[in-house]
Amino acid sequence: MDVEVTGIRKSYSRKRVLESISFTAQAGSCIAILGSNGSGKSTLLSILAGVRKADGGAFLYRGTDLLRRPGLIPGVIGYVPQGDPLMEELNAWDNLRMWYDKKTLRRELSEGALGMLGIDAFLGTPVHRMSGGMKKRLSIGCAVVSRPGILVLDEPSAALDPVCKENIRRYLAAYRQEGGIVVIATHDAQDLESCDVCYILREGTLHPWQYDGDFHRLAEAL
Amino acid sequence: MRQIPAYFLAQMKRAMRILPGQLAVNLAVCALAATFACLLIAQGVSEAGGARYRIGMVGDLSDSYLGFGIAALQDMDDSRFMIELVGMSEQEAENAFLRGDIYAIVRVPEGFLESIVYGENDRYVTYTATQGQKGLGTMVMGEITDIASTLVTSSQSAIYAMQRVLADQGRGEEIGRETDKLNLSLINLVLSRVEFGEVEVLGYADGLSLELYYICGMFLLFLLLSGLLNSALFVRKGTALPGFLKARGVGAFWQVTGEYLAYFCLVLTGFFCLCGFVFLGMEKGLVKVPEWEGMGATPFWGLLRALIPVAAMFAALQFFLYETAEGIVNGVLVQFICGIGMGYLSGYFYPSAFFPEKMRTVGEALPTGVAARFAQAGALGEIPAGAFAAVCGWLALFLVLSVAVRKGRMK
Repeated sequence: MDVEVTGIRKSYSRKRVLESISFTAQAGSCIAILGSNGSGKSTLLSILAGVRKADGGAFLYRGTDLLRRPGLIPGVIGYVPQGDPLMEELNAWDNLRMWYDKKTLRRELSEGALGMLGIDAFLGTPVHRMSGGMKKRLSIGCAVVSRPGILVLDEPSAALDPVCKENIRRYLAAYRQEGGIVVIATHDAQDLESCDVCYILREGTLHPWQYDGDFHRLAEAL
Repeated sequence: MRQIPAYFLAQMKRAMRILPGQLAVNLAVCALAATFACLLIAQGVSEAGGARYRIGMVGDLSDSYLGFGIAALQDMDDSRFMIELVGMSEQEAENAFLRGDIYAIVRVPEGFLESIVYGENDRYVTYTATQGQKGLGTMVMGEITDIASTLVTSSQSAIYAMQRVLADQGRGEEIGRETDKLNLSLINLVLSRVEFGEVEVLGYADGLSLELYYICGMFLLFLLLSGLLNSALFVRKGTALPGFLKARGVGAFWQVTGEYLAYFCLVLTGFFCLCGFVFLGMEKGLVKVPEWEGMGATPFWGLLRALIPVAAMFAALQFFLYETAEGIVNGVLVQFICGIGMGYLSGYFYPSAFFPEKMRTVGEALPTGVAARFAQAGALGEIPAGAFAAVCGWLALFLVLSVAVRKGRMK
């Protein structure tokens, strides 16, 4: 397995949010994490992205425990948080320039991930004038700068129009075809359909779940 | 690690986007502050005594000795810097008291001096004041008692004795001249008293001229409140960007460093605008500083150099306050309350000389108090190592706390 997560725990003060999180994934797969609000999805993803520290457990990527070697995380994981990690006053180009050198940026825009996400169409637009979809695509564009092996997305489809969702979905499909692993927190039906494995995060642990398109059953399970 | 300088550059770009609007606000504030300071200086120089306590004197002031004593206090004694005694009628005094033109009324009853001279002591001077000014009464009554006991009771005996001696010796024509001489000697005795009080230059900057006091005060207040002018740089939404930056290898320390440096540059831009205004005022002769007379612009640039560490410290304080507050509205409110509160305790708005000793000590130890000492020394061309260390200490503390708060937000 390319990814092995075992026994990740996390508490805030006395409240235990993650009891013991374990799952595996292989190259090109997509893992969906479902759960009600406050169940700990964002906490889990931020631990995988190296933003928060886990109280215990391991996160092995091709045999290396990233929790013990957090310096490797920026090169391995692309993280797209729930909010958009962008500077509102700057345009798309300036936001991307923070992460890409000029040459790479031009190349990625013409034939790489950024072109696929359609960011070249709004390069000069300041973030505060962008639609939600533009912001989300730009956020993903910033996250994939290091061509990461794992892409961690926290509810990327929330409040986006269908065209934009489709745009992102197509990019994720291409990313997986190149061997990338996607870990996504979502409640979007189409996102769930494209995932290989679904887990429901409940009471601090992950429960495998087979999504069959029945949202009523999903709501009951959450 | 290219992200760290890239993040600083991105913050600088943000600052540049905000700059035109901020510059317009800064210029307006600078113009207002400069005009206000010029008016204060002009008014302060022409009415140096405007800040004295005015006390209305009512009643029997006809006695030459009492009148002489009051005139001596008003024109020759150190107390003239603190108290102005104004003779007026009962009605005038009451009206002036109600309008707040005078702080208190002293009523001298008819025959007051005769009562003292003949040892009857049955007439009393009454002192009317509000609760807040009551303490001043003790000082004023002490003065009047002094006049009565020293100048009147004791000196009268000496004068009568001298007049009798001169008359006995047949030197009657010398009595008038010798009485005047003796009176002057006695007045000198009265004026050499030291127990009345110590004259203290009000405000934080002991030893500075009024003009330099206002210039330092204006710069300090501007730097202290510049967090309000530059608040646009702190508009942010949640922890998405800090979290993302951390995931990309830019930790809390580098985030705070990059953001703080960009903010400091913005504060300095506004500060230099104000400096330009003051410098223009000095060049045009609108602002004259006695301490800098004939020294050209060198001391002015010296003051600016001294204020740069102060600007850095205040910028760090403002950064920390915005870091701790939730949302921009709370941030602006906290800035305002902390700025005004600390400025008040350190004597920016009201002379700290009037505060209790413990409060003064706290005020001097606060960043605002340290900044005031530093600016005062810088204005006179000195940079004391202790004050510099205190400025650096506060600066480091605020930055360390900001990093801690940022880390806490991402936990």
